Amino acid sequence: MLTNLHAIIFTNRSNYESNLNELTAVRSMSSVPYGGRYRLIDFMLSNVTNAGIADVGLVLQENYQSLLDHVESGKDWDLARKRGGLRLLPPFSQKPGSGNPRGRVEALANLGGYVADIKQEYVLLADGDVVINIDLDKVFEAHLASGADVTPVCTKHYTGEPNCTVYYVPKEDGKYDIVHGPDEAVGMEDLNIYIMSKEFLLKQVKECATHSNYYSMIKHVLMPNLDKLKIVPYVFDGYASRITSVASYFHCSMELLKPQVLGDLFTPDRPVFSKDRTDPSTYYSPESSVKNSIVSDGCIIEGVVENSILFRNVKIGKGCVVKNCILMKDVEVGDNATINYVIADKNVSVSANSNLGGAESYPLLIGKGSKV
Amino acid sequence: MLLAGGQGSRLYALTQNVAKPAVPFGGKYRIIDFPLSNCVNSGVDTVGVLTQYQPLELNVYLGNGEPWDLDRANGGLHSLAPYTLAGDAGSWYKGTANAIYQNIGFIDQYDPEYVFVLSGDNISKMDYREMLKVHKKNNAAATISVLTVTMEEAKRFGIMNVRDDDSIYEFEEKPAHPKSNLASMGVYCFTWSKLRQYLVEDEADPTSSNDFGKNIIPNMLNAGETMMVYRFDGYWKDVGTINSLWDANMDILAPDGDLSVYDQKWPLWARNPIRPPHLIQEHASINHSFISSGCVIDGDIEHSIISDSVEVGHGAIVRYSVVMPGAKILPGATVEYAILAEDVVVGAGAHVGSDQVYDDPNKKVAVVGKGVEIAAGAEIEAGAMLYPEKKGGDK
Repeated sequence: MLTNLHAIIFTNRSNYESNLNELTAVRSMSSVPYGGRYRLIDFMLSNVTNAGIADVGLVLQENYQSLLDHVESGKDWDLARKRGGLRLLPPFSQKPGSGNPRGRVEALANLGGYVADIKQEYVLLADGDVVINIDLDKVFEAHLASGADVTPVCTKHYTGEPNCTVYYVPKEDGKYDIVHGPDEAVGMEDLNIYIMSKEFLLKQVKECATHSNYYSMIKHVLMPNLDKLKIVPYVFDGYASRITSVASYFHCSMELLKPQVLGDLFTPDRPVFSKDRTDPSTYYSPESSVKNSIVSDGCIIEGVVENSILFRNVKIGKGCVVKNCILMKDVEVGDNATINYVIADKNVSVSANSNLGGAESYPLLIGKGSKV
Repeated sequence: MLLAGGQGSRLYALTQNVAKPAVPFGGKYRIIDFPLSNCVNSGVDTVGVLTQYQPLELNVYLGNGEPWDLDRANGGLHSLAPYTLAGDAGSWYKGTANAIYQNIGFIDQYDPEYVFVLSGDNISKMDYREMLKVHKKNNAAATISVLTVTMEEAKRFGIMNVRDDDSIYEFEEKPAHPKSNLASMGVYCFTWSKLRQYLVEDEADPTSSNDFGKNIIPNMLNAGETMMVYRFDGYWKDVGTINSLWDANMDILAPDGDLSVYDQKWPLWARNPIRPPHLIQEHASINHSFISSGCVIDGDIEHSIISDSVEVGHGAIVRYSVVMPGAKILPGATVEYAILAEDVVVGAGAHVGSDQVYDDPNKKVAVVGKGVEIAAGAEIEAGAMLYPEKKGGDK
């Protein structure tokens, strides 16, 4: 079923990328590995394809090679189409020396005529780094039923760091105040997913083209016009998380070990698609002992693993003790190594007999390809 | 040309509604992934899959060939079913040779010099390029790959009797007194112009059973064609029986074995359902086993293959078994020396199979067919066969 909705996904929203240190030094926020076999972008791309949205634009800004390797033509999300499907949108008309776009409206204005050419009457704007499995059809229905100018998706279960988060606070007259970056969370947290009409969006993009200080959806489009606009938040009650720092990355990842969270994110009705690699099953040797862990295909486990997340093709040697760790694709842990509270990026190799550890609030992050 | 039309009647409950090559194998694969991966890894980019018996699931699985990189503008993977001709002509594939005969038009499109005829139900990792080298070097009409077996085993195989230069002078099907121990693996390489000629002649012979082993190979030998053996020394198993299917599954479980799934030099390709990683819970204990994506494991697993999306509850025990995708083993159930087909449910506290001697060739492996639900507390005896319409649960 095709809907009258077009999707635009923003793949780097750089205001907190720097908080993720080495994790985003080699990739964009949306291609940060998550949950054993996924990249963050998989959730939003799957939401879009599960809602029958046929046309999707992926806004790329910087550092996007890893993301391109991952999404390729979009075929793993069934978005490699003869008509429509996935469109990759690198910057089109960025002014020389102007740096990255300062907001979503400016990013869209930088795409030349893309917004004007959208065939559908409505547009979904979403960030590619939200961990969420949401029925976007329902959000669209709510948008049409309410007749709102803008429908933002919000949650009452706070997830982001308040100082880089937007909140909607209900007022007595049924309207909402928008609070940007407070010290403490208030009202409902914005999940950076909006539906609006193409006409409305195009008006903002044109405004941006003529006014150099009109670039932010929140600061320039919504906040100054709270009285004039009809903003009706859609309250999402399922699991959602926004990763804004290494500590929150660790925390959100470990939440997957709760069956409730795992069930919410990987509901069989709305599968989460990802790049298909055809890995073999994971082998557990007679010496292995694994408890309370998420393990992807292709691993060979010969040691002890507890409360951890193993991505594909991870090798855990004999006599190893791995606790509270996130080990990304192709990580190898040598025999008799002990690691605790470690996030090891792709291809890290931990030498035999080593002993490494961080703390829950400050896990030790080992950069891609390092040998330690 | 991959022969994938066989019923696999000796696999009983596993092939009631699905062709043998589509039977799940080794955790992430179907049997047909082995010859298909061999083709792709050997650089063969045009593959015809001959289907006949229960082709639906096999065809759905093959799709456009994309998982094997065989979705090609030129060549690629094609599923070839029997068809009818003008008038009343055309028929089911009467035999292996007739299946190829009916698809002469398909092969001619590509005008190949050589054609491999492969069995769709062998588990093996084989580089067909090595075989082609032998074929070309000897300018042979046909090359047949053979395995060295014991003289005792030779009585169960098609046996090639060869001269000193490895050329074949005689073929004997299941000889009572074998003269050689070179057993045919059902993997043939032909020079297409030669094979084409013998297929046409064989079709014209009303007494022929249109079979490679019974007709084409003997006819070529009698006519004095150059026929070679290619000696293969890697892993090969025909998984035609329950015990051989179980054995081959146990063989693939060895990460360093001949059939290792982790060998980067000879990757196995398959269509993969996109499922989340598996979750190992608090009470799980896993010993020498495969676990695949989407599983939730809270029981004891020993020496077993657990395919995608399988659930094993708290206190459940799975030993020396093959569990196919989507099966559920509820808390407290025990599964020993068994093959559970897709979506089987073993009720709480039920017991399927019993302990056997690992190396006993006549061990009794219990088989539970697709979707069968075994009631809580039920006892299913060793070597039992439960079919989809024959629900278990009788105590």
